[in-house]
Amino acid sequence: MFTLRTGAAALAATVMLAALAACGSDGQEGAGAEPAASGPRTLKLWHYESADGAMGKAWAEAVKQFEATHPGVKVQFEEKAFEQIRQSAGMILNSDEAPDVMEYNKGNATAGLLSKQGLLTDLSAEAAKRGWDKLLSPSLQTTAKYDDRGVMGSGKWFGIPNYAEYVMVYYNKDLFEKHKVEVPTTFEQFTAAMDTFAKAGVTPLAVGGAEYPAQQIFYQLALSKAQRPWVDGFQLYKGKVDFHGPEFTYAAETTADWVKKGYIAKDSAGTKAEDMGLSFIGGKYPMVVTGSWWYGRFVTDVKDFEWGSFLWPGNTLHAGSSGNIWVVPENAKNKDLAYDFIDITMKKEIQNLLGNAGGIPVAADPAAITDPKSKELIENFTKLSTADGLAFYPDWPAPGYYDVLVAGVQNLINGTKKPAEVLDELAGPYEENLADLGN
Amino acid sequence: MIRKYSVLVSLAVLAVVMLVPFAIVTLNAVRSPADYSANGPLSLPDGLYLDGIIDFWNRVDFGGKLWNSLLISGSVAVLAVVLSVFNAYALGIGRVRGRTWILVVFLVANTLPQEALVYPLYYLSKEVGLYDTRLGVIIIFTVVQSAFGTYLLSSVLGRFPHEILEAAALDGAGKWRALWRVVVPISRPTLSVLLIFFFIWTWNEFFLPLVFLISNENQTVPVALGVLQGDKMMDATMSSASALLGILPAVVFFLIFQRTLTRGVTVGAIK
Repeated sequence: MFTLRTGAAALAATVMLAALAACGSDGQEGAGAEPAASGPRTLKLWHYESADGAMGKAWAEAVKQFEATHPGVKVQFEEKAFEQIRQSAGMILNSDEAPDVMEYNKGNATAGLLSKQGLLTDLSAEAAKRGWDKLLSPSLQTTAKYDDRGVMGSGKWFGIPNYAEYVMVYYNKDLFEKHKVEVPTTFEQFTAAMDTFAKAGVTPLAVGGAEYPAQQIFYQLALSKAQRPWVDGFQLYKGKVDFHGPEFTYAAETTADWVKKGYIAKDSAGTKAEDMGLSFIGGKYPMVVTGSWWYGRFVTDVKDFEWGSFLWPGNTLHAGSSGNIWVVPENAKNKDLAYDFIDITMKKEIQNLLGNAGGIPVAADPAAITDPKSKELIENFTKLSTADGLAFYPDWPAPGYYDVLVAGVQNLINGTKKPAEVLDELAGPYEENLADLGN
Repeated sequence: MIRKYSVLVSLAVLAVVMLVPFAIVTLNAVRSPADYSANGPLSLPDGLYLDGIIDFWNRVDFGGKLWNSLLISGSVAVLAVVLSVFNAYALGIGRVRGRTWILVVFLVANTLPQEALVYPLYYLSKEVGLYDTRLGVIIIFTVVQSAFGTYLLSSVLGRFPHEILEAAALDGAGKWRALWRVVVPISRPTLSVLLIFFFIWTWNEFFLPLVFLISNENQTVPVALGVLQGDKMMDATMSSASALLGILPAVVFFLIFQRTLTRGVTVGAIK
């Protein structure tokens, strides 16, 4: 009893003292910050990529180059939690704690919203002066520009993407050989290949119905019947989208049909993306349709078989977009340094490094990519990008649309609702959002 | 006899159910990523792999986060108990007019979702220059926790025997002296329980520290664990390593003060 009491008291006393000490030092830091502005400068940089990923490696090199070309400037880098930036970016950028340059999610609900609130710096003049606008293809620029309503696609530049991402088909070369299936180049060959696997008792596609993968297959199917104006209508609200038009009707009916034919497992509606990836890594499925963000993971984790990737056959439009973007907060204290840093990340050297590390650079020199797998990945992207084929993601157009799509596609996989009913479910929240935007 | 065994069996089942998540986290914390991809999360690891834990510790400077968490939770626990005692002395023993309504207001403050408090707190702390400081978070949680503490202690002190206080007053003790020499020593078991609860609750807080502690050097343990959760990807083995590191301090704290806890719950306020 006695020891416990003194223990508690000692703990309390230490903590109180520490609290006082901490308050004191905080005050000093605040006071010391002001004269520092005239002395050596610091560039405050935040991003949330892991240090051993492609972007982490490339940006670490960019920091080195920045410090070499800017003597007297220190880069103060902090690795942030994605969740923290997602939850509180608006509050951080509205305060004195805002960084000078930061990675942020592209899209209407994120960068678009902050630009509308006046928290981001207009980069249009810098983009033109430094030639960023020429390095980025039109569909990559879509997520860099936002109009007065915060809708992407036109208006001023508020972000600069460094890398891109797209949805493709990863395939298990060993299983393809075993079942004597060739890499398909047309949609007919693709379905024929899946048929061969299904007849042999192998489910051809690993699908995660509980998260984003299933809706991306659904979207790819819709895109196979679509042209650019349809994408502009659906994603950028230029023109009306008919949810019972040929694109979505085909997507819904084909998804349901693929489940019937055994291309998609009936029980995949509850599968998470992580489990989907693991089942492909484990060699259980010949193909998985998912994004380039899985690429690095497959490179390090697939040990037992050869694998490769190809674009979804027959489509000119594919789900994909620029990666996250660099933004410069309006409250940043060293905007000139931030522009210099972004410029370095767009240089060929850094872009090539990003490509060789397994990322998809936006302005690399294709000849400098030496790794054969990365070459395949980037060549496919170049094919897609030169045809202006990035069609973004199906959950982008409306807030909370992700969950609507997950539920809708789950109904298709489980067969609990007819395709036409599912399309009605998808149409509702989309139209509501349009009405909110005043379209 | 049958009844006795059925109780035993159901308790054992319950214990297993409680321990399974902990066991899975531990298994995956010491598993290499390659092993995880090959064999999945449920098999026994091939060998002891501690790189995940070490990498995570260095990557987020876990020592610093531990200190921040300890500092914030410790200060909040002590300050909130002190504040609760003052409030409850006035409300429970002092019998302030309208105390029921005051308690209702405290309870409302306690049940409000933190999401609703975030914006007002954000603007206030920015105005007074406490945004992104540990002191700001300490003040916020002292108030939040003492709202509950006031409610609990007021009802405990409401039943405090008046004879003791009258005797103290006859002996010449003023209100201040009666509080420190009579009320606090007698309510000590309840106060220690409160102290421990406040410490653990504050330790586990995620949302407000996430919003208010922006700089990495100010962050707490639960916020640091969030670094590993990516946009689309997650690193299962390293997340497990971090989760293990994150719950260990709370477990250790609980084991140390476990006796105080049980005693406080069983003894009640009056000896």
